[in-house]
Amino acid sequence: MQSMRDIKQRINATQKTSQITKAMHMVSASKLKKAEKSIVSFRPLTKRLTASLARVLDSAQDVSHPMLDERPTNHTVYIIISSDRGLAGPYNANVFKRFEAYIEKHHTSHDEFSIAPLGYKALMFARRRNYKTLTDKVIQVRDDVQFIDFQSISDRFIKGFLSGEFDKVIVFHNKFINTLTQNVVHKTLLPIERQAVLDAHKEETKKNQYERIYHFEPNVSDVLHQLLPMVVVNRLYGMILESKASEHAARMTAMKSATDNANELIGDLQLQYNRARQDAITTELTDIIGGANAVN
Amino acid sequence: MRLNVIAPGGVIYDEDVDYITISSKNNGDFAIMHDHAPVISTIDVGYLKMVKDNNHIFTVIINAVLEQRENIINVIAQEAHVGLNKDSALEHLNEVRKERLEENRRRTMDFLKAERELKKSIKDAKASKR
Repeated sequence: MQSMRDIKQRINATQKTSQITKAMHMVSASKLKKAEKSIVSFRPLTKRLTASLARVLDSAQDVSHPMLDERPTNHTVYIIISSDRGLAGPYNANVFKRFEAYIEKHHTSHDEFSIAPLGYKALMFARRRNYKTLTDKVIQVRDDVQFIDFQSISDRFIKGFLSGEFDKVIVFHNKFINTLTQNVVHKTLLPIERQAVLDAHKEETKKNQYERIYHFEPNVSDVLHQLLPMVVVNRLYGMILESKASEHAARMTAMKSATDNANELIGDLQLQYNRARQDAITTELTDIIGGANAVN
Repeated sequence: MRLNVIAPGGVIYDEDVDYITISSKNNGDFAIMHDHAPVISTIDVGYLKMVKDNNHIFTVIINAVLEQRENIINVIAQEAHVGLNKDSALEHLNEVRKERLEENRRRTMDFLKAERELKKSIKDAKASKR
């Protein structure tokens, strides 16, 4: 059996750990609330932007743009959204696992795809696996993420897509369902499906045929050329916000169970400690009684 | 005529105006006055000049789509900043963006340094041997 001092030391250490995990749990809980708020405030913007796109596409049925056309896929870009820091339970591992399973199924060699990592963990994952990456720099996914933070990477894949370097862009990320559930999903970011956009805003575009006549400044193709990348980046931003909320939720749950485990461990150790103390007392008593008997 | 400017952070501007002038790098300048025909345009880098009762203020904008229908102008922007003067507003926006990038770089450096230190102290503490 361990000595009393050793047990006391372990109790203290575990208590300190549980304090930290409890604090992290609370921090994540408040960050989750903030992240949820930013998702809610971002939603109307996405909706209005895609509604605008639907109206443009509706008025310009015959205009084509490389971002709207499906083409044979030679090279795919996978955007993986992860966190910068660990201690978030299975948050990052789930994305990576799902991604690897997908790669296994759809690709035979590593030359067929590149990775655009968002977040430190995704970059490290790509390096560990020797995947080709679009950038060597760490793209941080901060809690208050802005467009400018990932602009370098979004510019890169949009330019690559337009020049024909890549034919498809797919995003892997955690979809926030509720605090306890986050599902890994993958969505095609590029090309944009024309019909899907139109279908999503059917009642909007079919309201009145005279309302649909728009004047484009300077012309339809220029407007589309500017609007489509914006829609793409906006969608990506929405996905990042969603994964950010998932990250905080995952961390919250992980830290909660860590705190619970620590408390359980402390209880067990306390029991051991009491037993050791009782042992020591009994030994001492036997000694004293033995000594007293010897004197008598 | 109603002008509504919305950015990821929320609504930037939602008020009545007499007319607006749009100036952008890609499309040049044009104005939208009362009862303009429905129009859709885009702004890469540029500004809106909002005029109401001889007062005017500027909104500097990066990447936006502008849509006007039935005297309601909707501007959906990725980044926008309101100022009294277009040059100072643009300067401010650029400065904020530059600072942000600089801060990101600094954070990455700090993070990598901290991670290295952590690895070293884990090794020094021989945590794996206990």
